[in-house]
Amino acid sequence: MTHEEILKMLAICVERGKVNKNAPFPPDLRDQDGADELAKHAIDQGITADVVLSEGLVTGMTAIGIKFRENRVFVPEVLMAAKAMTAGMAHLRPFFQSGAITHKGALIIGTVMGDLHDIGKNLLGMIVEGAGWEIIDLGIDVSADKFLAGLEEHPGAYIGLSCLLTTTMLNMEKIVIDIKASKPDAKILIGGAPVTDDFRSKIGADWYSPDPQGAVDYLNGQQT
Amino acid sequence: MMMNGKERIRKAFKVQAVDRIPWIPFVGVHGAFLAGYKADEYLQSADFLVNGINKAVEAYQPDGIPVCFDLQIEAEALGCQLAWSPDNPPAVISHPLAGGKSLDILPKFEKSSGRIPLVIEATKRTRAAHPDIAIYGLITGPFTLALHLLGTDIFMMMFENPDYTNELLAYTVEISRQMAGWYLEAGCDVIAVVDPMTSQIGPDHFEQFIHEPISSLYKYIRENGGLSSFFVCGHAQQNIEVMCKTGPDNVSIDENIPLDYVRDICKRYGISFGGNLQLTLVLLMGTAEDCQKHALECIDTAGETGFILAPGCDLPMTTPVENIQAITTLVHDPYQRDVVRALEKTAEEMPILDLAEYGRTEKVIVDIITLDSESCAPCQYMVEAVREVTPHFEGLVEWREHSIKNLDGVTFMSSLFVKNIPTICIDGKISFVSQIPPKQELIRAVQKRINEKLKLKIREKHGKIVLAGTREELKEIYDKAKIAILELGAHIEIETISGEEARRLYGISQTPAWINVRNRIKSEGTEPSIEVMREWIKALL
Ligand code: B12
Repeated sequence: MTHEEILKMLAICVERGKVNKNAPFPPDLRDQDGADELAKHAIDQGITADVVLSEGLVTGMTAIGIKFRENRVFVPEVLMAAKAMTAGMAHLRPFFQSGAITHKGALIIGTVMGDLHDIGKNLLGMIVEGAGWEIIDLGIDVSADKFLAGLEEHPGAYIGLSCLLTTTMLNMEKIVIDIKASKPDAKILIGGAPVTDDFRSKIGADWYSPDPQGAVDYLNGQQT
Repeated sequence: MMMNGKERIRKAFKVQAVDRIPWIPFVGVHGAFLAGYKADEYLQSADFLVNGINKAVEAYQPDGIPVCFDLQIEAEALGCQLAWSPDNPPAVISHPLAGGKSLDILPKFEKSSGRIPLVIEATKRTRAAHPDIAIYGLITGPFTLALHLLGTDIFMMMFENPDYTNELLAYTVEISRQMAGWYLEAGCDVIAVVDPMTSQIGPDHFEQFIHEPISSLYKYIRENGGLSSFFVCGHAQQNIEVMCKTGPDNVSIDENIPLDYVRDICKRYGISFGGNLQLTLVLLMGTAEDCQKHALECIDTAGETGFILAPGCDLPMTTPVENIQAITTLVHDPYQRDVVRALEKTAEEMPILDLAEYGRTEKVIVDIITLDSESCAPCQYMVEAVREVTPHFEGLVEWREHSIKNLDGVTFMSSLFVKNIPTICIDGKISFVSQIPPKQELIRAVQKRINEKLKLKIREKHGKIVLAGTREELKEIYDKAKIAILELGAHIEIETISGEEARRLYGISQTPAWINVRNRIKSEGTEPSIEVMREWIKALL
């Protein structure tokens, strides 16, 4: 396989959720290499880690992110793609650690206090990670203090808040106010089913998007 | 013929004609709010549930009511841990099958498990207390129960271990079947299979995993004399058609799915449908008027047969009572629907009436805004009351009826900010709303306005200057006018009034304005009506 073919196949495996050779899914790719093997193969073939990331993993995740946004695939498909991406990403970890490749930046994510829904927040993490960003996931039921502690540890990181309940929208507001009070420069993204852009401007957050792809667009736009 | 709620629901489920739109407020933890409990105590007491239901029936006069809206009952009985909350239903926080454990580890599911005895008791008591309305038993759908038991691994299991997924769903649907059986036995008319998690998968997965178990469930409910509703909350637009194919009697959806889309598909399958009232933006955060307008939109989109008006899902706990009552009124009172419809029209396209007219005529004008006095009894009485009183004033008072069935009436209604039908306005001011005033009170109100106008006329004889506008607008004019009066050595009074007042008293439409009260302006910027012109001409004779 040429380099180009390896990267193309890697992107396809991510998009279609083909984790590794043993994975039974998707049936038409049975017994073929998956994201795991292909990422390793790419590195072994001398393709640089940043190219494996951007032209393999990120390309695949972006493709599924767009299909999800357009309602052409649903939660299970994205979760499978993310699982494949994670398998491929494992081979890039040493390069991140050595500094050979760097993330575009970091996003600290969490579902706000009082809220236990995490499917949407996890998808956000996976899709943004799949776009080349580092994700620090604080989980569910997260307080302002925890987000602030996260910022201490990862200065300059963006923050992504998720909430699914109308009752916890109030907590989201409080968290945004608290974060902005101690870190006025922090950039906060918000989302979740009941959230709207009106609500965002009301509570003084920086960006709202109905889907993770919109968060990627915003974050990538902030880079330049 | 008047149907009772139960008959109305039954007919609507069968897509047969009904005497009016059936109405089901999905009162879950909102019942706790109505009866003054916290959500967690409410959902753990049969007494509290029954109290909440009784309050809801009294306040909302529904055609049907759910016993308990809590999708965690079965999960709890099967060993999932719950996190309780005072203002929401509880949440499942542990998944006994996490990682794909064998189903054998789950406890036996029995009628005595968890809170099942409590909801069954509440069902029996609700049945006895409300024999005429449809009682809904809400059960957790098999896919949502599978999520509770396994956690979000269920999504990947569908790809990675379809056999396990099938086994799990065969198990959860058996739980659903048992719950349905117990609810039917206790007296429920309708079993609503609430399966919001199905909104998160595509139609292919739905057909592959959900179709068969859920179809068998609807078959079972039907064979046992119950009606069935497939209830999803969330973005399930992609699945409406495959949901219909499972053969429920009814499909109930929330605001995320356009109602006309659901209507068209359900019609094709001969299935009734319902729901769609917006929970948060309208019912929780909107006004009573917003709620009526929105409910009417739903009714108009859905059509008369095979539709059940209902919130998209569980009502938020603190939904304002008056919002839901406004919908009850709309459903029960056909006049109200016409009023809302008429108001709807006014919002965008209506010209605004020139209220200045009232200031210009010599007479006092009584306007009665009605639906029309022939078909609306209260309207008729109000018109009668006014008709009876006017002769007392010997030609000083003129009355007119404005039916909002005509454009003229609608224009009046919006120009005078009238919100209820019928309403009496005296010289453009809302004076009596909905209630027919006693004769003496009506006479007093009209007399008051006559006196007001008379006083104005007397003042006219002395002559004065009236300046109309805001304080800023008038600052300079006022000072200059004072100087001019001084220079002329005249004894003339200056009065300042707001633009609003000037409009009503003198017919001024733009400020700042100067009015010489002796020589009154008769018209400005508009064409007065022929009646008004007649009055002016008479005054010159
Ligand atoms: C799954 C689910 C659960 C699961 C959660 C499992 C889990 N691990 O997350 C369980 C069963 C635990 C649960 C519990 C409860 N739930 Co629940 N739940 C749902 C359900 C069915 C789906 C939510 C979901 O995951 N959607 C899919 C994801 C992908 O969508 P999403 O979260 O909106 O995220 C997307 C976008 O919003 C965006 N996004 C999300 N976050 C962010 C952040 C940023 C920064 C950006 C840019 C974008 C972004 O990206 C995502 C992908 O596009 C909905 C109903 C429905 N069908 O929508 C109810 C729903 C959210 N739940 C509801 C309720 C009331 C509850 C409970 C209180 C009780 C109950 N079970 O009925 C508890 C609450 C517990 C708590 N304190 O949090 C209500 C909320 C009503 C309201 N508006 O207040 C809903 C709407 C159902 C309803 N209509 O009654 N629930």
